[in-house]
Amino acid sequence: MLRLPAVGRALAGAAHSKGCLTASSNVRTSVRASSNLVEVFVDGKPVMVEPGTTVLQACEKVGVQIPRFCYHERLSVAGNCRMCLLEIERAPKVMCSHNYSTLDCSSCRPWKGIFGHPVAACAMPVMKGWNILTNSEKTRKAREGVMEFLLANHPLDCPICDQGGECDLQDQSMMFGSDRSRFTEGKRAVEDKNIGPLIKTIMTRCIQCTRCVRFASEIAGVEDLGTTGRGNSMQIGTYVEKMFMSELSGNVIDVCPVGALTSKPYAFTSRPWETRKTESIDVLDAVGSNIVVSTRGGEVMRILPRLNEDVNEEWISDKTRFAYDGLKRQRLTQPMVKDASGQLVPTNWEDALMRIAAMLQGVKGSEIAAIAGGMVDAESLIALKDMLNKLDSEALCTEELFPMAGAGTDLRSNYLLNTRIAGIEECDLLLLIGTNPRYEAPLFNARVRKSWLHNELQVALVGHDVDLSYSYNHLGDSTQVLKDLATGKHPYCQVLAQAKRPVVVVGSSCLQRADGAAILSAVSTIAQNARVSSGVEEGWKVLNVLHRVASQVAALDVGYKPGVEAIRKNPPKMLFLLGADAGCITRADLPKDSFIIYQGHHGDVGALMADVILPGAAYTEKNGTYVNTEGRAQQTRVAVTPPGMAREDWKIIRAVSETPHVGVTLPYDTLEEVRDRLAEVAPNLVRYDDVEEANYFKQANELSQAVNQSLLADPLVPPQLSVKDFYMTDPISRASQTMAKCVKAVTEGAEAVEEPAIC
Amino acid sequence: MGEYVNLVRRAFGQITGHGGIRGFLLQLFRANDVKTGALIGIDKYGNKYYEDNRYFFGRHRWVIYTTEMNGKRTVWDVDGSMVPAEWHRWLHCMTDDPPTTHPPEPKKFLAKVHQFNMSGTSGCYVPYSTTAKKIHEWVPPKVGQQ
Amino acid sequence: MNRFKRADSFASHSSAMASSVARGAVKAVKPIFSRDVDEAKRRVRELYRAWYREVPNTVAMYQLDITVRQGRDKVREIFNKNKHVTDPRVIDMLVIKGKMELQETIHIWKQKTHVMRYFHETENPCPNDFLSKFYHGHEP
Repeated sequence: MLRLPAVGRALAGAAHSKGCLTASSNVRTSVRASSNLVEVFVDGKPVMVEPGTTVLQACEKVGVQIPRFCYHERLSVAGNCRMCLLEIERAPKVMCSHNYSTLDCSSCRPWKGIFGHPVAACAMPVMKGWNILTNSEKTRKAREGVMEFLLANHPLDCPICDQGGECDLQDQSMMFGSDRSRFTEGKRAVEDKNIGPLIKTIMTRCIQCTRCVRFASEIAGVEDLGTTGRGNSMQIGTYVEKMFMSELSGNVIDVCPVGALTSKPYAFTSRPWETRKTESIDVLDAVGSNIVVSTRGGEVMRILPRLNEDVNEEWISDKTRFAYDGLKRQRLTQPMVKDASGQLVPTNWEDALMRIAAMLQGVKGSEIAAIAGGMVDAESLIALKDMLNKLDSEALCTEELFPMAGAGTDLRSNYLLNTRIAGIEECDLLLLIGTNPRYEAPLFNARVRKSWLHNELQVALVGHDVDLSYSYNHLGDSTQVLKDLATGKHPYCQVLAQAKRPVVVVGSSCLQRADGAAILSAVSTIAQNARVSSGVEEGWKVLNVLHRVASQVAALDVGYKPGVEAIRKNPPKMLFLLGADAGCITRADLPKDSFIIYQGHHGDVGALMADVILPGAAYTEKNGTYVNTEGRAQQTRVAVTPPGMAREDWKIIRAVSETPHVGVTLPYDTLEEVRDRLAEVAPNLVRYDDVEEANYFKQANELSQAVNQSLLADPLVPPQLSVKDFYMTDPISRASQTMAKCVKAVTEGAEAVEEPAIC
Repeated sequence: MGEYVNLVRRAFGQITGHGGIRGFLLQLFRANDVKTGALIGIDKYGNKYYEDNRYFFGRHRWVIYTTEMNGKRTVWDVDGSMVPAEWHRWLHCMTDDPPTTHPPEPKKFLAKVHQFNMSGTSGCYVPYSTTAKKIHEWVPPKVGQQ
Repeated sequence: MNRFKRADSFASHSSAMASSVARGAVKAVKPIFSRDVDEAKRRVRELYRAWYREVPNTVAMYQLDITVRQGRDKVREIFNKNKHVTDPRVIDMLVIKGKMELQETIHIWKQKTHVMRYFHETENPCPNDFLSKFYHGHEP
């Protein structure tokens, strides 16, 4: 979608700035003067709304739901389904509602002579003194007529439709439709399109609301979907057969009001009324999207987004949505130990724990180390840390590196996305450094795009030239640019200096480099300079770190050392891998006789090198605390029980600590007690859905001046460059067949992935 | 009078016809019966098959099981499935021709060594599951195949 | 059998008596059978004696794999379990329940398994400490 010019935005502001006083759903713009409100009536009830509010929004404000198909709060107004037709008393004598919209009038012309002037509520701004009749005879008649026309070309396949039970058309035809059909003609049929391995299209069911088209062009920022043809032969599609290639593509399934776009992996598996819904958190990236896990019979059937305005709005990325089949494959279901021949054999918990206890006996505390992976909850992090500390070991590391020179992780503001995801909507200049947020944090990128689209956000990027779905100022990918920006020599510094609310985001991937400390130091200087020159108020935060894994912030909060350098320098005799699957440490880095314990939920890199495997729970199977890249603590809930003999992770560590010879029994038996302990160490970890303030940028910058590391000449290249790098990044998505299909479809074309023969 | 003498003689024969008191008691406890009859044949496992047509039909053919078969001690722990297929048809009166005089046609499905019925033991047949697994567990690679 | 007749007649007799007493009593707490603890204790003793006599019969009738001694020990144990109760109404209620149990046992309204349930032979104790809970499985 084209970026709205400033004037156009002012005109269209009515539609876009719905509830900007409440700042609830759409882009946060500057607060308008609230004095000139208009009074309108909804079924006789007076309500004060600001000028430019649409009829539909005015009705929402008094709590009256108007039936709609094409209107969606987060998308632009199309006004083409006509379902929201309402009668308005004392309406001005306009010809019809299209006075205010861009459609041709053929669809409402027939109504005009019969019913007077029913208006499309979603596109008609209210005027003073209107009385909106939401349930009058004329309104009901209009709805019934629209519904009849919609159903004329809609197949009667609800019993085999995946949308059945959560279909807007189904619900609204029950509520507002006629109770009998006058339809005797043949129905239109449309060919189905293959738009990739994720979205199943049954195009005959489409009612041409164009929500998916608007979603693709406005939110996802890919111009793949569009309409072809007119009138009865109008079709939604990609025009030429190709894949709908977006990291947010799954959201069109939720957006589609009928069953035209449904989930391919979920097809014909369950019905919404059969599933049990559990509100949880996604951990496949560091954004911490809020999700609903639908389960049936101890099996995750699908994952849907949950509304959280501060994090993911109502979207989730494709990895979040479709990688759930990875939770059912390659799982560790029983403890395993290596026998004499070096083969891992399944055993029971007693044996596995005794084996660990026996090994611990001959090992000094300083010879024990632990590495925490990317999807570990805070409870098990604290349990492992407590256990190892009691065993007199301090070598607890995370897989992700963070430069410890300067302030390091001592100042919390150093490693958080301080501005917060929602804060991006308030900034006017965004400098991205060494990151590709589109694939590292798709919902952060969606937020940037939203701000770019509606708020004139300027984006600049230092790093590899990637497609971010919006235009940006590419400053180059060498570290020299960074140095010039820090010293003020770069021409872009003038633009930076003019920014009123600048934000600098550095990707965690470029901090993994050998010169990470120098990069962080340079970024910190750039941020500090930008802050000073902008003169922004004290509470505004400029420096941000965008993490890629869900457990990193919690691990750093609890006190883990970032990076496995310490372990490589001082190889331990006993290594505890807590879900560490990135392969930072291999057998080759350790002495021959070292003993490796792997605790996790998937048989991946870590399990392959382990001597003892302790099966843990995945994020859908435990009550866990995760802290996202903003520092927002959120908790997952148990949707299904851990498979087989797998247990919740902190319990495993607690059990290990109690076995004889270990003898450092951790003082907690219940989740509440673990969280109490968590609160002792880092109180912010148990203040759920709350972001703890962190604001020591100046001090951090001063400390970072002491870093005397020089920048390397290598260009800043984030590891995820194109969409094929996005799908498989962690043990769960690596085990997922759907994600494998996506990679195949992206590399070889959508037709490479076979279509299911049914339907 | 002669009938009675015959009766007594048969009764006496049943008592003495098992190889002394030991054999008589063994037969009594193992088979709960001390019938004597014509030995029709012994199969290769040692089961002895008898016939005496003076008994009522159905009781006129019987087997005295061997004491050791397929490595299992079968003095007391006897089982109907110890009878091999070729004798089964004679014993159950499907035919009057014992396999001693009419050897069975060799068939592929006839076992070389007769197997007991495994029902109720750990070796019993369990049909495979036709439902899909909900969770596919990770199978560690075999040593040396990595 | 006549044991029961006696108990029943006794019960009806005493309840009539109890109600008449309750009418005149200052404290308007209606007793079930017994006016005071001593009387309740007497009923308990009677019930105990009835059970004590019944045990050999039960062992024989139900072909229980226990000795009479074990049965009587169990009766004693079950009676002792409630020895802290002092409220005569509660005692009365427990006695009523005991009599019901006894009746069911005498009339073979129970089966062997129901009698043997007093012995909790097949019950596995719930794990209490963390480690045994951990070994046992997912928490309920």
